[in-house]
Amino acid sequence: MSEHTLHEPQYALHIEDLTVTYHATPALWDIDVNIPPGVMAAIVGPNGSGKSTLIKTVLGLVRPVAGHIRMFGYPVKAVRRRIGYVPQRSSVDWDFPTTALDVVTMGLYGRIGWLLRPGRAHQAQALAALEQVGMQDYAARQISQLSGGQQQRVFIARALVQDADLYFLDEPMAGVDATTERTIIELLHRLRDAGKTVIVVHHDLTTVQRYFDWLVMLNVRIIAQGSVASTYTADNLRKTYGGQLALIETPLELPPSEAQL
Amino acid sequence: MSGLIELLNSSIVQTVALGAAILGIVSGTLGAFAVLRQQSLLGDTLSHAALPGVCLGFLIAGTRDMGSILFGAFVSGALAAVLVLVIVRHTRLKTDAALGIVLSVFFAVGVVLLTLIQGQGGAARLDLATFLFGQAAAILRSDLWIMGGVTLVALALVTALWKEFKLVTFDPDYAYTLGLRVGVLDVLLTVMVALAIVVGLQLVGVVLMVAMLIAPAAAARQWVTSLGGMVLLSAVFGVVAGVGGALISATARGLSTGPVVVLVASALVLVSILLAPGRGLLWQWWFAWRQQQGLQAQRVLLSVHAISLAHDDPAYSAGQGMLDALHHVPTRRALSKLHAQGLIRPVAHAPETTPHWELTPAGHAEAEAVLRRLQREDHR
Repeated sequence: MSEHTLHEPQYALHIEDLTVTYHATPALWDIDVNIPPGVMAAIVGPNGSGKSTLIKTVLGLVRPVAGHIRMFGYPVKAVRRRIGYVPQRSSVDWDFPTTALDVVTMGLYGRIGWLLRPGRAHQAQALAALEQVGMQDYAARQISQLSGGQQQRVFIARALVQDADLYFLDEPMAGVDATTERTIIELLHRLRDAGKTVIVVHHDLTTVQRYFDWLVMLNVRIIAQGSVASTYTADNLRKTYGGQLALIETPLELPPSEAQL
Repeated sequence: MSGLIELLNSSIVQTVALGAAILGIVSGTLGAFAVLRQQSLLGDTLSHAALPGVCLGFLIAGTRDMGSILFGAFVSGALAAVLVLVIVRHTRLKTDAALGIVLSVFFAVGVVLLTLIQGQGGAARLDLATFLFGQAAAILRSDLWIMGGVTLVALALVTALWKEFKLVTFDPDYAYTLGLRVGVLDVLLTVMVALAIVVGLQLVGVVLMVAMLIAPAAAARQWVTSLGGMVLLSAVFGVVAGVGGALISATARGLSTGPVVVLVASALVLVSILLAPGRGLLWQWWFAWRQQQGLQAQRVLLSVHAISLAHDDPAYSAGQGMLDALHHVPTRRALSKLHAQGLIRPVAHAPETTPHWELTPAGHAEAEAVLRRLQREDHR
């Protein structure tokens, strides 16, 4: 299959036969994923189930041993401009000497071109993105002085200026306060309603039904995927999480007899 | 004073000072990136790994030819960098272990070669040992051209690829997803660090060179709020350390330039770590102490308030000795702070002669406000 032939263009994300290993241990085993455009999808699974690895492999940061990945029918290299990424907040050193606005401007570096510097127009774009996440008052603040939730919002603003069609977010709700979580979710819903596809690695099962409309359940293999309504079942949860389920809220629509996990 | 002028007129001192200034600029600039990328130890490995290259350059050229020695140093430094990368990528060893292994192996090979060369005798050969700790006086005018050229290339690259280097330093994974050539930029930064080390070899030597990379950058980080500011200040600190060290060592006989340069750089680090506004340790201690005093005063205020509530008498006066006993520490300072804020006032409590205190109306209001605040936080 050539790099340039269109393959499964009806999906925002199409993954086929993907296997990723770290040394000898499989992190992802022979997985197939199809996510249609215009949904807000959650990837859930226990720790070590390969959620972050999946995103990193899709973005080309981790090299798979087998399988292929297409976005809107193209390999990642051909669609970089259409993809926005929000890495885990802990993946960078926040003591880096710079401002919130500057970090958001970095989202534009891919299209400013070699040798050129960001100008006024770029800064204005970055400021508008900060405003969307409610952080315009912190534009000139040192990033080391931001709270965890504020740092997360800066990261999201940085992805927003990319003006992508497909967004990947790695645990954006980890360690943020309730207000920030609400801001983030409202923003992501707006993106989805504008026709974008939003794919989120998510760890809080209690909010899956409220926040998302598409669900991928992962534990090294794909356990289930599809609309939340059809996928979020007690049976699938048990298969994904095994014995770790004690604390998880059971699906709302299940009859009581089935909800005894 | 006339001694200093005489010193500055000496052509050897001029050459050394100029060389040290060039080294300060290039190592300060690249050191800023190395420190932010948390690759300080890579610099140490590269500089130690330059030693076998120095010896091989000498052996191949057959004389102490600067060009071939520096080229040898650069090649073996680059080889070491590649080796570290290979070890990290293909084994389960972590970066620190890989750096340690490569450093010691290359340095050991270098020392063996050095002793072999010295065993052959000859005055010029003994000179090579100066690459361990550097010997500034050996620098020639012609060497300055090489050092200056390398520095100009490095500065040009940093200016041209400024935003790319910034993003790769802050968040390499994200840079990759934007389509930046992270691998190429990584190699460029590492190669430039190796070049900076080559520039410093003669002056500071392989053992101490890493200090010229780390110290100016670490000192600069304390004072700045932007990457541009950090790189500039780091270069300035590098020049100050280089020139300052060169001049100090020129004033006394037998003072080796390299170590003195490093000591000056370390002094800059010490001062910056202690004094830099906001980040400096003294600032933080002072800030923590003030917070503590504020908290202590608040606790004493609440105690007086609680005691007056317990006695159902807003004007109830609490004895200072009683407050001391309650808090297990002297409360004098906290009380005078509260007094200065108009929250309490001293009262005589005859027949006792010890000091007594009662809350002012403002004090009662403040205590109740504090209690409400604490309650709200409990409910969060």
